[in-house]
Amino acid sequence: MKDTFRGGVHPAEHKELSRDAALVRYDPKGEMVFPLSQHIGKPAKPVVQKGDSVLVGQMLAQADGFVSAHVFSSCSGTVKAVEPRRTLMGTFADCVVVDNDGQFTPFADYETRQDTYGVSAAEVVKRVQDAGIVGLGGAGFPTHVKLAPKNPDAIRYVIANGAECEPYLTCNDQLMRSHAHAIAEGLELMLRLFPNAEGVICIERNKPEAIQAMREAIQGKTRMSVRDLRVKYPQGGERSLISVIAGVDFPTSKLPADVGCIVENVGTIYAIQRAVYYGEPLFSHCLTLSGEGAANPGNYIVRDGTMFSELLEHAGGIKEGAMVKKAMVGGPMMGIALASLDVPVQKQNNGLTLLVDDENEQAEKDMTACLHCGRCTTVCPQGLLPQMMADAVHINDMDRYENKLHGLECIQCGSCSYICPARQPLTQIFKRTKAEILARKRAQSGR
Amino acid sequence: MQTTWNISSSPHTRDKWTTAFIIKCVLLALLPATVIGVVVNGWHALWVVLLATFSAVASEFLFDKLCHKPDTWKDGSAAVTGLMLALTLSPNVPLLLPVLGSMFAILVAKCCFGGLGKNFINPALAGRCFLMVSFGRAMADFSVDGVSAATPIAELMAGRAVNITRMFLGTENGIIGSSVLALMLGGLALWAFDFIHGQICFSVLGSFTLVMALLGGQGFDVRFLLAHLCGGGVVMGAFFMASDYVTSPVSRLGQTVYGVLIGVLGALFRLYGGTADAFSYSVIIGNLFTPLIDTYVIPKPYAFRKRALRAQQGDRVPFYLRIPRAVKVLVSIMLIAGLALSCIYYVTKDTIDEQQRAARAKSFVSVCPGAVSFDSDVHWNLLIDSRSGQPWGSGFGRAYINEALIGKNESGETVGYVISVTSADGFDGNVSLALGLDPDGKIYGVSFTELNETPGMGMRVNEDAFKNQFIGRSAERFSLNKAGGSTREDQIDSVSGASITSGAVLNAVNAGLDFFHTVVKGGDQ
Repeated sequence: MKDTFRGGVHPAEHKELSRDAALVRYDPKGEMVFPLSQHIGKPAKPVVQKGDSVLVGQMLAQADGFVSAHVFSSCSGTVKAVEPRRTLMGTFADCVVVDNDGQFTPFADYETRQDTYGVSAAEVVKRVQDAGIVGLGGAGFPTHVKLAPKNPDAIRYVIANGAECEPYLTCNDQLMRSHAHAIAEGLELMLRLFPNAEGVICIERNKPEAIQAMREAIQGKTRMSVRDLRVKYPQGGERSLISVIAGVDFPTSKLPADVGCIVENVGTIYAIQRAVYYGEPLFSHCLTLSGEGAANPGNYIVRDGTMFSELLEHAGGIKEGAMVKKAMVGGPMMGIALASLDVPVQKQNNGLTLLVDDENEQAEKDMTACLHCGRCTTVCPQGLLPQMMADAVHINDMDRYENKLHGLECIQCGSCSYICPARQPLTQIFKRTKAEILARKRAQSGR
Repeated sequence: MQTTWNISSSPHTRDKWTTAFIIKCVLLALLPATVIGVVVNGWHALWVVLLATFSAVASEFLFDKLCHKPDTWKDGSAAVTGLMLALTLSPNVPLLLPVLGSMFAILVAKCCFGGLGKNFINPALAGRCFLMVSFGRAMADFSVDGVSAATPIAELMAGRAVNITRMFLGTENGIIGSSVLALMLGGLALWAFDFIHGQICFSVLGSFTLVMALLGGQGFDVRFLLAHLCGGGVVMGAFFMASDYVTSPVSRLGQTVYGVLIGVLGALFRLYGGTADAFSYSVIIGNLFTPLIDTYVIPKPYAFRKRALRAQQGDRVPFYLRIPRAVKVLVSIMLIAGLALSCIYYVTKDTIDEQQRAARAKSFVSVCPGAVSFDSDVHWNLLIDSRSGQPWGSGFGRAYINEALIGKNESGETVGYVISVTSADGFDGNVSLALGLDPDGKIYGVSFTELNETPGMGMRVNEDAFKNQFIGRSAERFSLNKAGGSTREDQIDSVSGASITSGAVLNAVNAGLDFFHTVVKGGDQ
């Protein structure tokens, strides 16, 4: 059976640092910052004011329109301000700042399991929407939008993404080991929405315990299976998984639902289960703290809004004697390098990695002219020609870039930059060019 | 707590392979061929290798310094160019040649076009071609111990037999890097570890073999194909020259097209061209086509291919759409070629055989008057077979006995003998003749069955004035009289201005006579 997509790379995994550290809940003590935009779409509108007291799970900001998501408080305390704060991209964005009283008094009862028998499909989607759930794999796409495709009957596969192909990250592995039943139930809820779909839980083979746990959890459940996949990056990419499971490659102009697939991260599916069975909104999720620079690598259930600096301090800080070169949110392949750790954890963040060795620094020194070796072409999971795309950008031939080479199909997975022996910053060029082309298009259509 | 961090765009990790590492591995892969070349060819070859490599690196170093460029000579690419150039040279070249060749390769073909990654043709091949046009004689000097000799591929092109095992091992006369075994070892290792693209090497080798089989006139004769594959730098070209990153296309489909182009051109040059070095030219032509291929052969992203479009519609993807395009292209070329070949073979097989038999019978009859049928002798055949590939006797040059037959008349009485002999010492290829003798050893006549000599000169041996000198004589061995006008029984007047061809004919006749006297009459079995 097909166990992988075409192309891809295999970076050093480094998962041994934290793979066996059980999930630990962390309750922060300092102030909590909740950005209004933690998802793709319009930022949420604040519904609290300075001085309001809030409880855990209380809504701080309301979704603005359909493609948007609510933001909930993860602590109890007083709203200190609604003001611009630095967020992880390094820029300032509007945030609700809550003075944490350390009590974590819940707004409602999130421990009692409710009966969901007879809950309609529409009701499931509504509960997901009310819980402010977004894709926890990294992109942060509002989940209720994904769950409401035009034609639910045409959905063939609901894919639970437990591949976790990024190096260092292990929190989904731990989540699947410890909450396998909850994830299976979440998947069952999703299958309720799609009567013709099969649920497929995809896990890379480097997580045998998780595969075993999920296999046991789906015992006795219908329309569900576990697929073990080859260990390869970007196996956990939406398009890679659909290529493996459904055998369909599709352009970026189409959504997974257009080819009969729904892909959700296992963390998201767990959040769906919490929301539907317990009425718990999304205010905490799992996150891996790892890297050679971390004193105690581990997996945490963190509350949104916690400062990364506080989390790191709690976890023992930087390893004695280690000189950390780079801190990033996420793994080394797609992670965002942080300028400062004094930024809040957002819903879709799944890791904090501290690197002692910044390979980009070395790469800049090793950079040579392109040899046309074609490795980037071999590894591109989209079947693009990165070398030619970069050439087209250099000579500023945007027509060739966009129409001949289909440069906008790039998913910015970073495989080409990773493999390039000449150390050309290919992915960076494509990110910049894509942004430029899209901006120009927006300007043209606006005129 | 530490507060300053590096900021950069993702990805934040890199593969271990750098440009310098890849180049070093290619250098390593060339070592087996270099070592065997030096061991087989001696100290002079070592000097050629060292000088070529050193002057390539030195040229790049000088260029960097003079033009204030960053130091690129350290990356090893210049050393690879120099070494590759040395491997394509004869071990006898004057030591000035590797130096000049490397300088041209690095300074002109590489640095003038922008250095590493920018050259439009393979620098090593450019250096070789520069030397070929400038020092043609020295480049083609493959003499052994001062005695002039030809490379196996030149022999092969002239239609002579070659020793494939020696060619494969690299102990045959030829360029320094002529050991197919060592080149394959290095090349296959590069391919196995993903340094070079299989699409290129195997499409070059595949299409070359195919065209050779198709148009070479020997069909899928394994010995013929292997001999052509093992000689003339085909393996070197496929694994080290054509697969050079800089001058080959980037996409898989483009690489296949490029490889097929080089293979087909190489085979055509080999079959119809005038030089044994054709393969380097076909690689260069492939290099020149690379920008064109890269511009127009652009495979679509997976999501836009036919197979994906069907899948997006929710249709079942038919089986034929799941096969990669490059595989389809190669397989269909092979199928069409194979089919065409077998058709041609079947249609022409009987006719060709018939014609050959008739032609031979005609020439046999013409030198054995009175014979209506020819019988062979088991013992003679065994003897001839056992000597196959070796020249007959000594003192006849490279003369080979092909066949010996007994001519009989209607009543079954022996009226004479016909001995078919080939001499490989012709001015331009083989001279084959049928020698007819009466039972006492008197010559009935000589008839040529293969003669490709220069018209007006060597070809004049086929004129009666020369040929008929043999008739009626019964010497055991003839000698050549270049002055002309000889009256001695055992002397033959040479065709003036064609002493080589005349000598080859004489050698063939003498070998035939020797066979007659030692085997047919002497009973040496």
